[in-house]
Amino acid sequence: MASDLLSIALSGAKAARTALDVTAQNIANAGTSGYVRRSVSLKEVSGTGGFGSQADVSLSGVRLDRVVRNADLFRQAEVRRTGADAARANAEVSGLENIEAAVEQSRAYPSLVDFDGALQRLAGDPTDPSLRAGVIETARTLVGTFNIAASGLASVGAGLQFDAAAGVSDINTLAGELARVNLRLSRAADASSDQTTLLDQRDNLLQQISTYGDVAAQFSANGTVEVRIGGAAGPLLVQGGTASPLAMTTAANGTISFDVGGAPVSLTGGSIAGKALGLAKLAQVQGDLDAAANSLMTAVNTAQTGGAALDGSAGQPLFSGTGAGGIALAFTDGAGLATAPVVAGAGSRNPANLDALRAALATANPAGRLDALIFDVSSTVSSRKITQSALAAIAGNARISLEAQAGVDLDTEAVNLLRYQQAFQASGKAMQVAGTIFDTLMNLR
Amino acid sequence: MTLISTSTSAFYSRSLMGLQGLRGEAETLQARLSSGRKLAASSDDPVAAARLRQLARSGTLSTIDTANSQRASSDLQLADGALSTFADYIIRAKELAIQAANSTLTPGQRQGIGAEVAAIRQNIIGLANTRDAAGHALFGGEAAGAAYTTDASGNATYIGTAVSGELPLGDGQVVTRSVTGPEFLTFTTPSGPNDLLAVLKTLGDALQSGAPSAGSAANGSLDALSAGLDAVTTAQTVIGSRMAWIELTTQRRTDMGEMRASEEADIGGTDIAATVAQLQQTMTVLEASQASFAKLAQLSLFDVIR
Repeated sequence: MASDLLSIALSGAKAARTALDVTAQNIANAGTSGYVRRSVSLKEVSGTGGFGSQADVSLSGVRLDRVVRNADLFRQAEVRRTGADAARANAEVSGLENIEAAVEQSRAYPSLVDFDGALQRLAGDPTDPSLRAGVIETARTLVGTFNIAASGLASVGAGLQFDAAAGVSDINTLAGELARVNLRLSRAADASSDQTTLLDQRDNLLQQISTYGDVAAQFSANGTVEVRIGGAAGPLLVQGGTASPLAMTTAANGTISFDVGGAPVSLTGGSIAGKALGLAKLAQVQGDLDAAANSLMTAVNTAQTGGAALDGSAGQPLFSGTGAGGIALAFTDGAGLATAPVVAGAGSRNPANLDALRAALATANPAGRLDALIFDVSSTVSSRKITQSALAAIAGNARISLEAQAGVDLDTEAVNLLRYQQAFQASGKAMQVAGTIFDTLMNLR
Repeated sequence: MTLISTSTSAFYSRSLMGLQGLRGEAETLQARLSSGRKLAASSDDPVAAARLRQLARSGTLSTIDTANSQRASSDLQLADGALSTFADYIIRAKELAIQAANSTLTPGQRQGIGAEVAAIRQNIIGLANTRDAAGHALFGGEAAGAAYTTDASGNATYIGTAVSGELPLGDGQVVTRSVTGPEFLTFTTPSGPNDLLAVLKTLGDALQSGAPSAGSAANGSLDALSAGLDAVTTAQTVIGSRMAWIELTTQRRTDMGEMRASEEADIGGTDIAATVAQLQQTMTVLEASQASFAKLAQLSLFDVIR
């Protein structure tokens, strides 16, 4: 079989045109997120000699073998893994920062100190009505700050739960989308531009899911992916064309847990894992704040009932309710403060019971509890922030490393444009040569 | 094959990460400068924030200690002034007793002296019922009303409590804010326990009665009056030493306050010079990064290939 110079040149021109198209596509998508750089893989077309014709020259030009998608599975998996970790850390830190702000900015600690101070001032003159009113007013502020802290924490919890629920619904939407992509991938022709676009979509969806929860992906030969949530041992989220929905359960104390069709999921990465961690810390902080409020109430109320009010009657509890959210003032008349011992009688300046109250407060030490609580929250935030910045740097580097490998480099594309333009022109020249040869033969006389 | 080991988007991402980091750093430094505080939230430095809370607590309580010690100080000054007047009255009563003991005086003259003694006694009772700065009996311990009452026949009885109240001065230190009436108006003479008000009443009654024994009664009261004066002077000494104690704790509180302020500034305050220098450094790096980013971003083969 003989070669045909014209058709060889034509195939070369076609291949160069395709390569120019791919290059232009790359340039056009240089800023598209999730776009993976394509390159063309060309293959020589030549006939092998048959029996008795091994010496034949039979060259048929070039053909486009496939459009190569320059994706690195390892780097993509790294981007998913580190991205999930960074998203978890971000979500956890923002939740913890809100908790810290709710506790610290309620100014419960300073008002507890003020209450302490007002009692100490009252010791100067236990019968002074203005000092008694001062104690009542600082107690009122204290009750208010405890209530503010409790409601602040409650709204932080509500926000975290809402975000987590939204994240779960996003995961389910994305998983459904991924299942559809899987179906189309299983039908797409190999190395077609359709398939490469679907593969881009698949990787994009996987990466988006991994920002909400950590996933383990397993790719099959036809490009479809099997996704497990909560790591490689977790339940299947997407298999072939089916997506199993992830569900969230909120416990009585506000903490959340996840399952897929009843199989429990323990998330270690992704933003909803961060929200779950934030909610767990929140439940603990709420418990500690309630304990601080209760210890204050017990100490003050016990001392109150052990003494006599200004009019000599038996002292009544100053605080009512339970917990930081429920604490309230039981009476607002300063004369009700039991500063004197029971035996002292009306109008006594004997501060024995006030001293007992202050001693009980010093022993129960609600201020110390609050201080420890703020320290606990703030040191958790501070240590998580360090983790967060480390994870953010790791995730950023993984992303850049993937982009460096899979992204479009405009300089390379400029060179490719030149290269394929020249190849096209050269093929044209080859056609011209074929024409000249033909003319030469025709002009033989 | 790639010409340089990066893609266009990676170049932009990397530049953005660097610029964002520098900008965030500069903003943190700027916030520290404008607020004057190193810590915006406890989580910036949990240990320092906990220390700052402790310092703020001590500061708040120390203000109240200061108020309490001023209250104690003014009570003690009032008591000191009243005790001086007590001493003057006792000295005058003693002069009168010496005068009355003179056997050359007539009963009428003694009656006159007795009237003055009785008036002095009334003054002393009034003085013993002096109120303190808050309007309570200064020498009545922790009682709500007066310290002494007089019955129909003029006998004075102490109705206050046994001890004076204590005021906290901070750090577990306390001071007794005054003395009770019996602490300086009763004393012991060789003939047994005695009460200045009773002594003066006996003396005044004896002198006013005009009886012949009045001169010897006046003579007999001299020892008791001397002992009474001693008791008042002793009480004054006690009060003086308490005021010195308050001064000492006040001095200590001031020192502690200064230490607290300097520690607060060390832990929580911004070191302006260092922060400005740091900010300048960050800004220099940021400007350099921006300039180099702009230069590199201009670099494109498309501009060169014609």
